[in-house]
Amino acid sequence: MNQKTVRRLPIYIALILLALVSVVPFVWMLATSFKNGPDVYTQVPQLLPLDKKTGEWNPTLGNYEYVFTISGLGTAFWNSVWITCVLVPLKLLIDALAAYAFARIPFPGRDKIFVLMLAGMMVPTITLLVPRLHVTQLLGVYDSPWGIILPNVASVLDIFLMRQFFRTLPVELEEAARIDGAGRMAIFWRVILPLSKPVLAVVTITSFIFHWNDLVWPLIVLNSPDLYTLPLALQQLASTESGRAYYIMAGAALAVIPVMVVLLIFQRRIMQGIAFSGLKS
Amino acid sequence: MASPVVAQRPAETPARPGRRRRPGIGRRDHLIGWLLIAPALVYFIIFLLYPALAALYYSFTEWDLHSAPIWVGLQNYTDLFFDDVKYPHFWKSIQVTLQYTLVAVPLTLVAALGQALLINAIRRGSNLFRLLLFLPVVTAEAAVGAIWRWLYDPQYGLVNAVLGLVGIPRQNWLNTPELVIPALAFIAAWQCGISMIIYLAGLKSIPESIREAAVIDGAGPVQRFFKVTVPMLRPTTFYLVVTGIIAALQVFGLVYVIFSGGGNRSVTGGPEQSGLAYVLHIYLYAFRYNAMGAACAMSFILLVFIMIITFVQFKFMKQEAS
Repeated sequence: MNQKTVRRLPIYIALILLALVSVVPFVWMLATSFKNGPDVYTQVPQLLPLDKKTGEWNPTLGNYEYVFTISGLGTAFWNSVWITCVLVPLKLLIDALAAYAFARIPFPGRDKIFVLMLAGMMVPTITLLVPRLHVTQLLGVYDSPWGIILPNVASVLDIFLMRQFFRTLPVELEEAARIDGAGRMAIFWRVILPLSKPVLAVVTITSFIFHWNDLVWPLIVLNSPDLYTLPLALQQLASTESGRAYYIMAGAALAVIPVMVVLLIFQRRIMQGIAFSGLKS
Repeated sequence: MASPVVAQRPAETPARPGRRRRPGIGRRDHLIGWLLIAPALVYFIIFLLYPALAALYYSFTEWDLHSAPIWVGLQNYTDLFFDDVKYPHFWKSIQVTLQYTLVAVPLTLVAALGQALLINAIRRGSNLFRLLLFLPVVTAEAAVGAIWRWLYDPQYGLVNAVLGLVGIPRQNWLNTPELVIPALAFIAAWQCGISMIIYLAGLKSIPESIREAAVIDGAGPVQRFFKVTVPMLRPTTFYLVVTGIIAALQVFGLVYVIFSGGGNRSVTGGPEQSGLAYVLHIYLYAFRYNAMGAACAMSFILLVFIMIITFVQFKFMKQEAS
């Protein structure tokens, strides 16, 4: 027992070093975000928010206040919140309905459509951007929140994952419900969905993280600063205030912290989901 | 990706004869099936199928998004490849992207495998370490870019301060052409958490009996690693290499954020275009210079490249399976 612990000591030391590399950038981000401007630029890196001259305790929330109000990250934060809160459930519903049909309702041409959709996953996003921009202009949703929601409102990968899961559910349950007189939709809502919580959770969480973080599409489809999502506003902040690390780090913290909270709460499901989807595909 | 799906198809056929006996349900079922996939199908046609085909068409045109596209045949493609006055950085962007891929993918996989092996070797605290090493993955690339720009800061950056402890002189990481690719690749390796989780799952799936057999045969830890673990992880590694290459070829958001600065929406691609990733190059032509036709041509070249890689992957997987 004791010998085992000693043998594992180097492993723990290596892991602690790796974990430090992983975490220190975030610690440094937070540390910088609570410092007053002059205290940030010290020759010897200083973790705590101390006054550069006197060495006294000198933290501030001013950077957050500045980026939240003056740089417009407050507006962007709420834009991101409501766009993700509309987009993710809508997407989940559309994907789940399609996945159920692809898994359980046979009709002519179904599998051809499904294979075509899967083949579409190979197309790199960059190839789609220009025509998608044109489509959003034609639909009249360019430079609006719907310009972000509509082009993201379904996901072939999520349909695929849900379909794979639905197929593992025993058909007998559906047959029993059918004998009791339940129609397709009743079966979907009352039998399939309640049994599919694991896959629904994985898809919801990964969708939330992806859309909360997405920079590229908002960059292309949004033009008005008061419609910016948080990543886009942060990118703009990093570009325009490039000499003021304390503002940028406060902005970065606003973008990072909500996702970290989600990760802490749902870590087990996320890890399972990655192992599942990674190995499956 | 499609092959396992097709293979599983017969699963539901046995249930069908029973259903057939109930009159009308077949046709009504068809209708419900179509209705259920309708929203996803409409989405697919409008935002995937049409854009993909339209991009192919636009790649043969000269188009600024506002006036009507003018058909120019293969000119965009020939100009990209041969006219280095019109597209001076096309080859440079390919070179940068390939270099980045060659450095970032192996570095990421080695980091991921190392972390997975270490975590797999312990019991107590393995969940905590897994979580901590995963944090960089869920971070928005805008934040990743912003944070690392600050860490790589030549004067006040933490990276130089830490390297200074072991006697490595200060570097201007993001402003020295030779250092840009290593600096970007390190960020990629910092974000290796997904590969790490997949490697962990792979390690867990190696049967204990094989390891024990190797121990009985007198294999030491190093021998076991190279003769048992690495071969058993080969499918996992292969999958991660392919997906890693496909992702690395498309690196964009990070370089966009790292090299944007000093003004509103101005992007340079780094010192001497040393960070001008291929997709960043496409982005600049599409959305900065309004050369949509050329941008679509470039993106189709990338598409063909990715399709070749995917095709090779299929071939190998089939070989592996048989």
